[in-house]
Amino acid sequence: MNSASPLVLIVDDEPRILSALRRSLRREPYEVIAVESFREAYHVLESQPVTLLLSDYKMPGMTGLHFLSEVARRHPAVVRLLITGWMESIPQHEIDPVGVWAVIDKPWDDAELKDTLREALKAGAPIPV
Amino acid sequence: MRGSSEHAGVARVLLASPGTQGAVPDCGRALQGHGLALGLEVVRDVPACARALAAGDAQLLVVDAGCASDQVGVMLDLAEEAGVAVVVAALGSGPLELAYWGSQPVAACASTGAELVAAVRDQLDSNGSAGIPGSDLPATAILGALNVALLASDAAGRISHCNEAAARILGTAADSLQGLPLSSCLGSPLPEAHPVAQSLSGGESFEGYETTLVHSDGQSIAVGLSCAPIRGPGGDPVGVVAVFNELREARRMRGDVLQREKMASIGQLAAGVAHEINNPMGFIHANLAQTAEYAAELRLVWSRVEALQKVALAGDPVQLRAAAQELAAASEEVDVPFVLGDLSKAIRESQEGSERIRHIVQDLRDFSHPDSSERESADINQCLDSTANIVWPIMKHLVVLKKNYGDLPPVPAYPMQIKQVLMNLLVNACQAIEQRVGQSGEMGTVELETCVAPEGVEVRVSDDGVGISAEHRQRIFDPFFTTKRVGSGMGLGLSTSFKIVERHGGTLSVESEENVGTTMRLFLPTGARAPG
Repeated sequence: MNSASPLVLIVDDEPRILSALRRSLRREPYEVIAVESFREAYHVLESQPVTLLLSDYKMPGMTGLHFLSEVARRHPAVVRLLITGWMESIPQHEIDPVGVWAVIDKPWDDAELKDTLREALKAGAPIPV
Repeated sequence: MRGSSEHAGVARVLLASPGTQGAVPDCGRALQGHGLALGLEVVRDVPACARALAAGDAQLLVVDAGCASDQVGVMLDLAEEAGVAVVVAALGSGPLELAYWGSQPVAACASTGAELVAAVRDQLDSNGSAGIPGSDLPATAILGALNVALLASDAAGRISHCNEAAARILGTAADSLQGLPLSSCLGSPLPEAHPVAQSLSGGESFEGYETTLVHSDGQSIAVGLSCAPIRGPGGDPVGVVAVFNELREARRMRGDVLQREKMASIGQLAAGVAHEINNPMGFIHANLAQTAEYAAELRLVWSRVEALQKVALAGDPVQLRAAAQELAAASEEVDVPFVLGDLSKAIRESQEGSERIRHIVQDLRDFSHPDSSERESADINQCLDSTANIVWPIMKHLVVLKKNYGDLPPVPAYPMQIKQVLMNLLVNACQAIEQRVGQSGEMGTVELETCVAPEGVEVRVSDDGVGISAEHRQRIFDPFFTTKRVGSGMGLGLSTSFKIVERHGGTLSVESEENVGTTMRLFLPTGARAPG
């Protein structure tokens, strides 16, 4: 990967999910960094030029939505996406203010996931509603 | 029906008869004791008759033929004006006299007591009321229509009455039990302490006694039975009457509530479990898609290998060189070493994921599986572990679980019911922690401890959640008491748990301090001293 390619950061506390996502996105035109905690994710965000962040919703201690709203404040240019098996339990009015570009359901479809990420990278970070 | 106030529910019949004041005339006696519910009022003369008719609620005037004929004429006129029918009681009179009365404006004339009773009954019937409506219905018809099972016996304990509802429960025909000893359906021999036996011998009444009856096929039927002695004129029991209803329905409904509450707890867990299944599903699904891609890539490389084999056999070095270069290019494009390595890894991870799903499904199946009717020797530590596995999906983001198990002897129990209790305690502990920490990101601690206690085992589930106020602490075992929001259960969790523990002969108690935490203490006896 050259330095000009976008950097995608994925956070999920389930290492097998990270492994499968990395596998799915192996041939995509961006670099993927996968971490298992928000703490590690903050570290990457502070130290590297992350373009897009894909976060799990249900994480220990804090929801992905809280994390994304924090990121929206500190790194507003980062495109924010949620991935979740809990879609039904996240009210839209909680998602809206955070400015989430898309919510991806688990299990995901590889082709759709790739399309969504490419589109999100093209569009750039949305302004929170 | 027009009942007078003094004879509410009874037909008011006037009897005009001469004779001594206060004495009941012969025809009056003939009317009494024939199952006619009459408010019989004797009038001695025309003024009395006029007053009685003027009251407006007399239904019939019976005129004794012994009255003076001029008086009779006035009485007939008065009755006609009042619209009240007249029956003449000419007891013992001959045909000539009867012919005379037949010519008069009277409804009927009776020469015998029986005729008089029949005539009065006819008149009251044709008035549209016969004393109490239906008061002459035979008791057997009433008992037959009664949708409560009823059995009655005489003093010797022989069945005298058995209605249809009773016969249905006992699986026999109502009349086939008549004359048989009570023990034929109450169980033989009938114990002296049986409430029916006590009603017969001691004259006591019983209500809502749970016992069993013997079905005609020999099976026992659980019933709730109430019985009372039938007393003779002297006050001694001359028989017994018992009503009962089958408990199968009642039991089933009670079981339904238990099941519903269990399903409500499972409903709370379902979302957690779905998530837990969804994660492995997610990566298995993605891995399979990737595996298919790897297979296609490897097929491409393999086609180059086959081409190379072919030209190698032909022996043309130029072609051989070209084929080898193509193979090398394909291998590099596909990155065969990586694909082979990652393929095995993807398969291994997917296998692990499917194993996880299998475990979850197995735990759920264990949990929803109904208990056998017999108690089993239950390993309480194992019950606790398998319950914690089920609850883990909703706990793990919130709770650090500590286990401190003692070496426990087996406990005679219904394991599913015990797991239901434990699940309830665990879910409550999680919710208490959730209420305390909110979205702060803090984790709570739930500690599961087990140890041997005198004559039993003790399980303690402690949390560092919000705790329970003293006021609520007294009510947590009450049915339908809940502080949770609507939709998070019906408030039957702890009351159901309490009942389950009681049925096992154990105890369930609470220690709690607000904002510090709660410890639920469950004791289960190892001996078989528990009822039920």
